[in-house]
Amino acid sequence: MTEWQAQAERRWAGRSVQRLEDPGMLTGATRYVTDVQLPRTLELAFVRSHAPSARILSIDLDPARAVAGVHAVLGPADVADIQPTVDILHLDGALKTPRFTLPGDRVRYVGEPVAAILADDRYTAEDGADAVTVELEPLGDDEPMYADIPGGRYFHQAAAHGDVDAAFARASHRIRRRLHVQRVVTSPLEGCGIIADYDAATGELTCYLSTQQPHLARAALAEAVGLPVSHVRIICPAMGGGFGGKEVMLPEYLCAAVAATRLRRPVRWVEDRSEALTAGAHGKEAEAELEAALDGDGRLLAMRSRFVSDTGAYSSGIGAYVEFMVGAFTVPGLYDLGGYAYDTGGVVTHKAPLSPFRGVGMTTSQTLREVLLDDAARALGIDRMELRRRNMVPDGPWRTVLGEEYEPGSWRTAFERALELIDYDRFLTRQSTAREQGRLLGIGVTPFVEAAGIGSAGGAGGLPGGSHDNATIAIDLSGRITVALPTFSHGQGHRTTAAQLVADIFGVDPEDVRVIDGDTARTPFGMGTFGSRSGVFIAGTVNRAGEVVRDKLLRVGEILLEAAREDLELVEGAVGVRGAPSRRIPLAAVAGAAHFAPHVRAELGDPTLTATAFFDPPRPTHSNGTIAATVDVDPDTGGVAIERIVVVEDCGTMVNPMIVEGQIRGGVAQGVGLALLERYVYDESGQPQTTTLAEYLLPRATDLPPIEIEHIETPSENGTGGIKGMAEGPASATPAAVICAVFDAIAPHGATIEELPLRPETIAAALAQS
Amino acid sequence: MTAISVTVNGTTHEVDVPPRLLLADLLRDELGLTGTKIGCAMGACGACTVLVDRDPVRSCLMFAVQAHRRSVRTVEDLAAQNGDLHPVQAALQAHHGLQCGYCTPGLLMAVTPLLEAGQPLDPDAVREAIGGNLCRCTGYETIVEAVVEASRR
Repeated sequence: MTEWQAQAERRWAGRSVQRLEDPGMLTGATRYVTDVQLPRTLELAFVRSHAPSARILSIDLDPARAVAGVHAVLGPADVADIQPTVDILHLDGALKTPRFTLPGDRVRYVGEPVAAILADDRYTAEDGADAVTVELEPLGDDEPMYADIPGGRYFHQAAAHGDVDAAFARASHRIRRRLHVQRVVTSPLEGCGIIADYDAATGELTCYLSTQQPHLARAALAEAVGLPVSHVRIICPAMGGGFGGKEVMLPEYLCAAVAATRLRRPVRWVEDRSEALTAGAHGKEAEAELEAALDGDGRLLAMRSRFVSDTGAYSSGIGAYVEFMVGAFTVPGLYDLGGYAYDTGGVVTHKAPLSPFRGVGMTTSQTLREVLLDDAARALGIDRMELRRRNMVPDGPWRTVLGEEYEPGSWRTAFERALELIDYDRFLTRQSTAREQGRLLGIGVTPFVEAAGIGSAGGAGGLPGGSHDNATIAIDLSGRITVALPTFSHGQGHRTTAAQLVADIFGVDPEDVRVIDGDTARTPFGMGTFGSRSGVFIAGTVNRAGEVVRDKLLRVGEILLEAAREDLELVEGAVGVRGAPSRRIPLAAVAGAAHFAPHVRAELGDPTLTATAFFDPPRPTHSNGTIAATVDVDPDTGGVAIERIVVVEDCGTMVNPMIVEGQIRGGVAQGVGLALLERYVYDESGQPQTTTLAEYLLPRATDLPPIEIEHIETPSENGTGGIKGMAEGPASATPAAVICAVFDAIAPHGATIEELPLRPETIAAALAQS
Repeated sequence: MTAISVTVNGTTHEVDVPPRLLLADLLRDELGLTGTKIGCAMGACGACTVLVDRDPVRSCLMFAVQAHRRSVRTVEDLAAQNGDLHPVQAALQAHHGLQCGYCTPGLLMAVTPLLEAGQPLDPDAVREAIGGNLCRCTGYETIVEAVVEASRR
């Protein structure tokens, strides 16, 4: 524990402080990328492929040039000097799928950009795009997508931990389960977007960009367009949701950057909903299979899994790797397995590229495992919760069969508490009464663990993609505290939580702390916001930087107040002598003395009250919890009404419980969407069928019940002041709870469903067949 | 171009607009009122909801010319002149009824007429009332709590 933590009363951390972000958002003052208006901006619109797989025979851009108000057009030859983007992971045996900004030879999915039109406004740019003629020659199924990736399988990895084959050989029960996890769309309310603005005098390219990773986007964009990283500035003023879908360097962004540089005018592209649904951040689609070996008492001996992610046309960013690698590595979850084997990988297909989406991989593994455990319990005639009890790991630290070291957690306590809250035993009684009346009630209860805040040491199974961050804290001459963060909040309230942490360090109120994020010119390097990492890294970096600055303030206090360090405190925006309110020096005076009082400056050596600190956690934090859901399935229509959802959650020390609960509720809502509503459909020829929000169904207020939440706090031991990352666990475990509940409801009918989501027609058809 | 006269948040604007210009784009691009967001441009998400003659309207489904001689109210008009939040804005903040904030302006305008009618609302009525407003962040529950509370003030 650091000195300030020992000393300070933690006045702000742990409280549900109202968000500092909210007034701007509530009044319409907060500016998102789409709200930034620069003079002389040109709007971009794209000509997109209408074929899933075709050779490009010709592109006639002249009709677009003839449209009044069109200023320029970009075809493949115009952007040939942009470096193709490839996925950024370095894994042995991984084949690359280079993505050219506007590919001149062939198209690989419907919606792929083919040409770009720049005009005075979006209406005119779309007129120009409509005028372009693209001649395509369809390619047959026998034409490989990439010459060097026969069969389309660009990555495959298989491994066994423990003696899996022997366990299966001696098992008295072997249970197998297949699921097709549907393709979904991340669907933040704000689409992707960029405004690129080139300064010919300085050679600096400023991009207003809707990105979760300002610094990584800066590096990727600079590399692609051939600028030094220092010449690119990324500004993200505010972001209307991301959920993993805003981590990829898109060809649309590169077109905007190059056009702005050449035309010397700001260039803007904002993804509309039809673009987002057709060619935007899709997620999750996978074919998954799991087999369990159990003894006669229902004890799990080993598991074998198989994952194949349907990656779409390109493996972009970290793309589908996080789906199929995290999926394979998170199968053991909270169960004590003697052996585990996985076989995992991805294939390219003529669909939009797969992007990370909240709960990457975990959603699939959690759903598959929990559905399989219920199948096993039914096959063995053991209560489903009892089967889990017989196999769950004990509370506390745990080393998984894959060698992953879990921090101490309340695995079993959370599970039992969720059963109490949902009143499991009483539900079973009600369920059996209802069954006699022909009603189909069901319950699903799924315990989860989430590894978050993964440092350079990597995650489970050696998954690459570890990360580190910095934060800067500075006190200016007016005594105001500014914190600069490389993470970027897209709804998680980072400014508030960071201000709470900093307020405790310096003895001020959160409103007195200015938090800057979303600007590479004003923040130190870091990896951005994904994988529930931001709370962990903000706490880790801010605590460390704060300690350095705090130490300097106290040093000035020692000199000016002629007092010993142990008698000083930071309180009410001043350095003061403990117990002597009359002997306080406001922070502005401290900063002034540091800069301008020669004896103080000489003593300090460096007058700046500024520190940048680095944090790289030794291992991930592990939050946990349990989701319990009850449902009422209509036997005629197959419609599912969710009765209750209970969440017991443990993310260690909470900085702002209100924000934690917001992440839980939002995650649960997305999980309900995945379980029951959302699916992106291509027909057999590769044509998208769900290109509007009338066909692609997102959860609405009327689709969700109230969500009951209870907390347990098992602090992290990872150098974060007890904080554990938590935003994806509830999202990834909710589909399992709802799906298990539906399967429980229809189990007496012997109906088996392998296709997600559980739409009414799917359920009704399964019931009709049984 | 068509000349129209439209009153927005109490100020009358005489503007020439292309006939196909959407009301949402008039508000955002011509009048600089970027609080109104566009989420889907086809009337499915509700992010662009504004009041036209006091009724909630999807400003992405209405042409600017259709607002000729009509009165439009946007999110920028909800808070008091001195900056004090409207009770429903304050309730949304207190209940954490917003996260990324992108759906918030449309949602506020969708519930404003109901709240100004002065009747206390129950949670089911609020869920129905906001059933046409998509939020991807919150799970809606805290929005429902906030609107219910604002209706009972």
